[in-house]
Amino acid sequence: MKGFEYLLKIDRRIIYLVIGVVVILPLIFPTVERVRVMAPAQSLFNAVDSIPEDKILMVDFDYDPQTMPENEPMAIALLRHAFQRRIKVAALSLYVQPLALALKALDQVTEEFNARAQTSADSIIYGRDYVLLGWQPPPIVPLLEMGISISNVYSTDYYGYRTDSLPVMQGIENFNDVGILVSISGGNAPLWWIGYSQVLYGVAVGAGLTAVSASDFYIYYQTGQFSGLMVGMKGAAEYEELVESRLRVPGERKASEAMPSLTAAHLAIMVFIVIGNIGYLMRRRT
Amino acid sequence: MNTSFDIWLWVSAFLTLCIFSFLYKDNPFYKFAEHLFVGASNGYLVTIIWHGSLWPQGIRPIFAEGNWWLIIALIIGMLYFTRFFPRTSWLVRIPIAIVMGYGTGAAIPATIQADIMRQIQGTVLTPQNFARWNAGSTGVIWTVLLFIGVTCTLSYFYFSREHKGVLGVTSRIGIVFIMIGFGAAFGYTVMARISLLIGRIQFLLGDWLGIIQ
Repeated sequence: MKGFEYLLKIDRRIIYLVIGVVVILPLIFPTVERVRVMAPAQSLFNAVDSIPEDKILMVDFDYDPQTMPENEPMAIALLRHAFQRRIKVAALSLYVQPLALALKALDQVTEEFNARAQTSADSIIYGRDYVLLGWQPPPIVPLLEMGISISNVYSTDYYGYRTDSLPVMQGIENFNDVGILVSISGGNAPLWWIGYSQVLYGVAVGAGLTAVSASDFYIYYQTGQFSGLMVGMKGAAEYEELVESRLRVPGERKASEAMPSLTAAHLAIMVFIVIGNIGYLMRRRT
Repeated sequence: MNTSFDIWLWVSAFLTLCIFSFLYKDNPFYKFAEHLFVGASNGYLVTIIWHGSLWPQGIRPIFAEGNWWLIIALIIGMLYFTRFFPRTSWLVRIPIAIVMGYGTGAAIPATIQADIMRQIQGTVLTPQNFARWNAGSTGVIWTVLLFIGVTCTLSYFYFSREHKGVLGVTSRIGIVFIMIGFGAAFGYTVMARISLLIGRIQFLLGDWLGIIQ
């Protein structure tokens, strides 16, 4: 029975090593893993796709470097979708830290589109096609006040331009002019948009979530409070799949590329759980 | 292999490896990266708050644009600093009371509406809720399962009577649902943590070393 005792005392460094190997190998030797799109991501895609011309997509960037691997591919895929469909985008953040990441994502997708653009009309231009509204503390101010006037809350954008002077904001007064607000967050920000902005003003809300918080958020999707969800890296990969397969938008798909590693790591952890349980049961018998 | 020559990528990779070294055991490299992170974060935050909030929304409107009434808000905000002086520390209650009053007033109706009323509506057995699953005729089954799960879980948390008889049965079913919930949450947590690891590995092998494209 000593062998089973060993199963319960595997050095954690061996477990880290195994996880490291199973994560790294699929990245070095990539395989094709089909991403099956689930209903929450499909619903979000449909909601964004059906935004009327006179309304904007509002994107709340509320992730920081700690959750970037999960949230950034969501933001990139969402922006590709919006820019391909020529949906106007207003980006903001409830906190200060994510602003630099919002800027990074916007710059990356803008450069991708502009590298392929033939004319000015094809290009993605700041102020005409999108705006980075910036950060307005405390969070409750944009959550509540944008239902009355967006330009009152963000009188100037991230760069200091008057928001009411920007072409992208013409005709955009308040939440009534927002097709859907998508909150990409590593925390609880999507719930605040529901609790304050949706309850008071009825704005449609979608969310991009880290997997760790997913089980807390699904109940709001089931009730229809969220129009759609991207959950974790898998959710990001689903949205990437939709954007590429439906809209033929090329580009790096970091989340999709990570899926084989994610699968391998999950299998390894399942094996370790089974090993641990076998060891536990055998020790109880003795 | 196409290793980057960007100095900042090397700094970033070095700090990532410093943090990863904790997986073996605590060491000076980990401590160095940890302290650097805390210091840099605080420095960044202070700078951004000054440039993004305090100056454009407090100091400039008052002293450059003549909105003198804003000085009341600034003074109330400054009362937070009275905490550092024992004689005047009681004054900190004023801004705390204002923030708590405003925050609670705004949060209570929002919570009742979004977290309680809508969740109750979503649990009731209605044709609208059957259809919400987008699962055809099986939507009824999922809604009934949800209804059983919610009521049985709630019964588990009813402690005014001993869990015997009908209450004993429903509370035991409730435990099953709770355990399934914990399992799902754990599974998602594993997925989240592995995703973060993958993100760093993609950075190290891709952006830094150029081994993967």
